[in-house]
Amino acid sequence: MSDLRIRTISADEHAAYLTAQPSASFLQTPGWAAVKSEWKAESLGWFDPAAPEQLVGVALVLYRQMPKVKRYLAYLPEGPVIDWDAIDLGRYLRPLAEHAQEQGAFGLRMGPPVPARRWTAKTIKDAIAGGQQPKLGDVRPDVIEPSGATVAAQLRALGWKAPRAAEGFAAGQPQYVFQVPFAGKSEDDLLKGMNQLWRRNIKKADKLGVEVTLGTPEDLKAFHALYVETAERDHFTPRPLPYFVKMYEAMANQPGDCCDFRLYNAYHEGDLVASTIWIRVGGHSWYSYGASSTAKRDVRGSNAIQWRMMSDALAAGATVYDLRGITDTLDPNDSHVGLIQFKTGTGGEAVEYVGEWDLPLNKALYTAFDLYMRRR
Amino acid sequence: MPLILHIDSDRWRDHLRSTWNPDIVPVAKGNGYGVGNPRLIAESRALGARTIAVGTYNEVPPDSKDDVVVLTPWRPFLEVPQGKNVIHTVSRLADLVSIPAGSRVLIEVQTSMRRHGIGARELRHTMLLNALDRIRFEGWSLHFPMGAGGTSANVREAQDLAKAARAVRPGAIWVSHVPAQKLADIGDDVKLRMGTALWLGDRGAFDVRATVLDVHSVRRGERVGYRQRRVTGDGHILVVSGGTAHGVGLEAPTAAATVRQRAIAMAKGSLDAAGLALSPFTIEGKQRWFAEPPHMQASMLFLPASVAPPAVGDDVGVDVRYTTTTFDKVSMD
Repeated sequence: MSDLRIRTISADEHAAYLTAQPSASFLQTPGWAAVKSEWKAESLGWFDPAAPEQLVGVALVLYRQMPKVKRYLAYLPEGPVIDWDAIDLGRYLRPLAEHAQEQGAFGLRMGPPVPARRWTAKTIKDAIAGGQQPKLGDVRPDVIEPSGATVAAQLRALGWKAPRAAEGFAAGQPQYVFQVPFAGKSEDDLLKGMNQLWRRNIKKADKLGVEVTLGTPEDLKAFHALYVETAERDHFTPRPLPYFVKMYEAMANQPGDCCDFRLYNAYHEGDLVASTIWIRVGGHSWYSYGASSTAKRDVRGSNAIQWRMMSDALAAGATVYDLRGITDTLDPNDSHVGLIQFKTGTGGEAVEYVGEWDLPLNKALYTAFDLYMRRR
Repeated sequence: MPLILHIDSDRWRDHLRSTWNPDIVPVAKGNGYGVGNPRLIAESRALGARTIAVGTYNEVPPDSKDDVVVLTPWRPFLEVPQGKNVIHTVSRLADLVSIPAGSRVLIEVQTSMRRHGIGARELRHTMLLNALDRIRFEGWSLHFPMGAGGTSANVREAQDLAKAARAVRPGAIWVSHVPAQKLADIGDDVKLRMGTALWLGDRGAFDVRATVLDVHSVRRGERVGYRQRRVTGDGHILVVSGGTAHGVGLEAPTAAATVRQRAIAMAKGSLDAAGLALSPFTIEGKQRWFAEPPHMQASMLFLPASVAPPAVGDDVGVDVRYTTTTFDKVSMD
């Protein structure tokens, strides 16, 4: 099999291809380039030389400039969107490396959307309660995905460097995420899968009259105020309002109907108690950003808004609801465990992806960049 | 022959009754302040207390009908007795999500003690707010430093922390080392944990007696004891009950807070270096020297010839730290 051809494609071609796919990451949509406007970006398409009109894969590449030199790291967050079950991934990746080098990249970094292992909520709960304080990766998984090992073996053979294990949230995209699979499930099944506290809180919010509505761009200001309040409470650095304005603008108005981007608001007697961002690309739906008020915790706006996002994802035909990153700590002494506990309450599963892989194109520059990133 | 703690029970109980009020939670922990935890728990009930505090999970009395607060913070690796009457102290965010749902919980807030507790800036953390409906919230717990000048500063700190904590979730405030008459300054519904000030608040009700087991006359320079030291003068060697097994002659680091206390400690230190140490045993109104370090259950003392020795079977006074002494018997007189 000869290698595929690669070239720059338009945002329309890019979006049209994604629309035809069962799923892709929202970080691989043409809109995401506009969100990360400080980086140079391009949409790439792969073609089979035998059928040069037929796209067989796409990628959003973000070129991140290295300090002091006109060279870039070519970054494909949660991508590219190709056939990861291909017998020879080199057909895709060799032309990609060549193209990136022509664009002045000293290295490539990508995050194949390929799951390696899965753990059910029950397995995680038992591992936390077991008191041995394991890392998620050390716990016996419930499912091992065949493609995980195959892809990793191929990437190694092609000269890509495996991800370095990092604790907490590393600089890139999370290797571990929490997802609720929807396949063959009804709303009732989803509720039954949740833990008692989640079910009770969803009921309670309903009884107390919490109302969840779809927001508009005008609601971003209120969302952001609540998000800043959450950041102050939990001591993380909030992104500025223009970032979200830009995100809404770019993600909600993508070509074709590849993608949905929504803002949800939960109100109790006129007070905004929770506000979240929901995204869907094909069958993959995400809870992306969330904020909740310090006051009126007891009306359980957070649970109400999550339930509404899940139900809407189900209605939109999603096959998975993704609550995004979790750390791999299952040590009950570690406060990150709280996030895992909240997410496992939904009854879904933790999924390990094969992680972010690097291909150095210029050894010296890549090593310098690697050191710089680690010392940041 | 035993080392006995005699308690003038009328006097002691008068003190307990005049000290305790329903805002006070009696603390029964460790060696029970010398008296023993079972007796302290019984006395607490007799006072009318329906909640007591213990130090560790091991000290929770089995089948308690009353509420028992455990002061040592909950940790995922501790063996925890099950029971509706156990109230846990939680001092870290991670533990709030790890403790079994439905547990009765006091949330401890970090004070200037810097020992345990969730920092004041974490009080509005989403994890804490979300955990409040997993648990049965019983209130906020504050533990303060003791002693000179501490108490008024403690009241101010308690006011600030109580205000911040109650803004997150209204509830009782549980404090320690704050004067009982100042609770109202902190706010309503403040409970005071009390151990030493309650049980040992009137030392006059306590009298510790050791028994003289043997008396020998010695001449200056003769060798005595396990270590065959020479005695410093003519007099008597007394063997009295009370040794290392009781905690006699073992010192925890002193909390020497004043210059005078430090000077005494220094003087004692230099005497220690010379191999001489004052014993806690009192004969004819004076503490007497150890002839050698205390044995396991008895001690050898040197009594100079100028003092008439007691007879075998007599008892002598002992000045001990109640929290570090194990008595053979507690006698309610």
